Amino acid sequence: MIEIDRVSQIFRTAGRQEHLALSEISLTIDDGAFVSILGPSGCGKSTLLYIVGGFVSPTKGVASIKGRPITGPGPDRGPVFQEFALFPWKSVLGNVMYGPLQQGIKSVQAEAQSRALIEMVGLRGFEHFYPKELSGGMKQRVALARTLAYHPAVLLMDEPFGALDAHTRTRLQNDLLNIWERDRKTVLFVTHSVEEAVYLSDKVVVMTRAPGRIKQVVDIGLPRPRRRSELLLDQHYQRYLVDIEGMIDDTSEDELRP
Amino acid sequence: MMISARAVLSRSAPLLACLGLLGVWQVAALAHNTDSFPTAWEAILTIPSIVGDKESLVNILASLRRMAIGFGIGVLLAVPLGLMMGRSRAVASFVNPLLMIIYPVPKAALMPIIMLWLGVGDVAKILVIFLGVSLPVIYHSFQGAKAVEEKMLWSAAAMGLSATQRMFRIALPAALPEIFTGCRTGLVLALITMITSEMIARQSGAGNILFNALDLGEYGTVYAMIIIVGALGIGLDIAFESLRRKLVKWSEPGFDIPVDFA
Repeated sequence: MIEIDRVSQIFRTAGRQEHLALSEISLTIDDGAFVSILGPSGCGKSTLLYIVGGFVSPTKGVASIKGRPITGPGPDRGPVFQEFALFPWKSVLGNVMYGPLQQGIKSVQAEAQSRALIEMVGLRGFEHFYPKELSGGMKQRVALARTLAYHPAVLLMDEPFGALDAHTRTRLQNDLLNIWERDRKTVLFVTHSVEEAVYLSDKVVVMTRAPGRIKQVVDIGLPRPRRRSELLLDQHYQRYLVDIEGMIDDTSEDELRP
Repeated sequence: MMISARAVLSRSAPLLACLGLLGVWQVAALAHNTDSFPTAWEAILTIPSIVGDKESLVNILASLRRMAIGFGIGVLLAVPLGLMMGRSRAVASFVNPLLMIIYPVPKAALMPIIMLWLGVGDVAKILVIFLGVSLPVIYHSFQGAKAVEEKMLWSAAAMGLSATQRMFRIALPAALPEIFTGCRTGLVLALITMITSEMIARQSGAGNILFNALDLGEYGTVYAMIIIVGALGIGLDIAFESLRRKLVKWSEPGFDIPVDFA
């Protein structure tokens, strides 16, 4: 279980002004839940994810996992970034094997596991390609496999499909859900797409813009496994979209406030 | 496989450029016709007598040895320093002003002072070469490390890499293409400072042969030495480039069209 307890984040801007990015965020994420954080850009949603990842420490408040306060990054929380952040000097296989090798797993074993993961994300035959030789969608598949390879209990996904074209994005969403259905890891998923959040999640946390506050937490009661083709005609699904779109419209009125 | 005329031309372009330069030299020297300006052909004919002479060869090898040591020490110290500057703002703000002071000073201009302290032997010359090499390598390592994607380091941190491991196993390889650019500049500067150091502290070396010949009015030898030093520079650069290509193949454009199946 991840507990975020009254977390605030203040950034100092170049002009020495203080900018309140997150204000008093409290949130509980159950084990095995797929939770999306949804909000307009600049609402601090990624910062919240980085705090859970231990990459950024909050100005105020505490984030904890399994009852222990988060003080830094660790292999129990695996990030997947919009920028992929692959190691460009390593092949696909080398990238995926990096985590297991770091954890002291023998290279024969690490390679076998990594090859299986590469196959799972649909990249069989590309083991010896370098990141530079791959498209954006393929890079993100590698990044996902690389993170899954060290068995984190929590996946931290920071707008992972934000840089991809619509078609690739849809395919990766479907594949992510299929992979998630197998072992039901806890997923914290940051996005600004309402449709993506509702399609994937058990819970959607809607945030307001600067300072980032939780506007509302919406439980998505759609049955799983979900099929996009069925959902698109589903009235409940459509209702969720309309409701959440409405919440975001409300918050964009004070858009220009510093 | 047929090789087109254009490919042959582009492959041999560097050679043609060299021949062109020698041709211009030849014509200019013939037109000028003075002792202090031998023709290209005369200079080339003098090369075997230098390279064949044991003492000259020992001198040239001594130069190269000093250059290799100065370059080696320079790279070994400059790369970690540059990386630390790139990853720590505190280190950068401390070291940067020092570098700015040293940067515009021609390293050879420090030679008289260094000679005063360390004499005219190898140590003084190696120190000057080291100074010449260090700055571009520090600078490029610094820039390379600064440009390393934060998220890449975060990904490594999540895998359990410590700060030191991230520095040498993530920041170093990620900055390697940029570091190599610095080393390539450093290599040329090493050659230049090598010759200038020997010009000031004349005791042995390629620079010593060159300037002694100038004093004795052996202009053929002077020009032949210039050709030899130039050839050394080109040779080292080619060797370094092929090493670089092998090590940072992953960053090279060329196969820039990514595959996609989606």
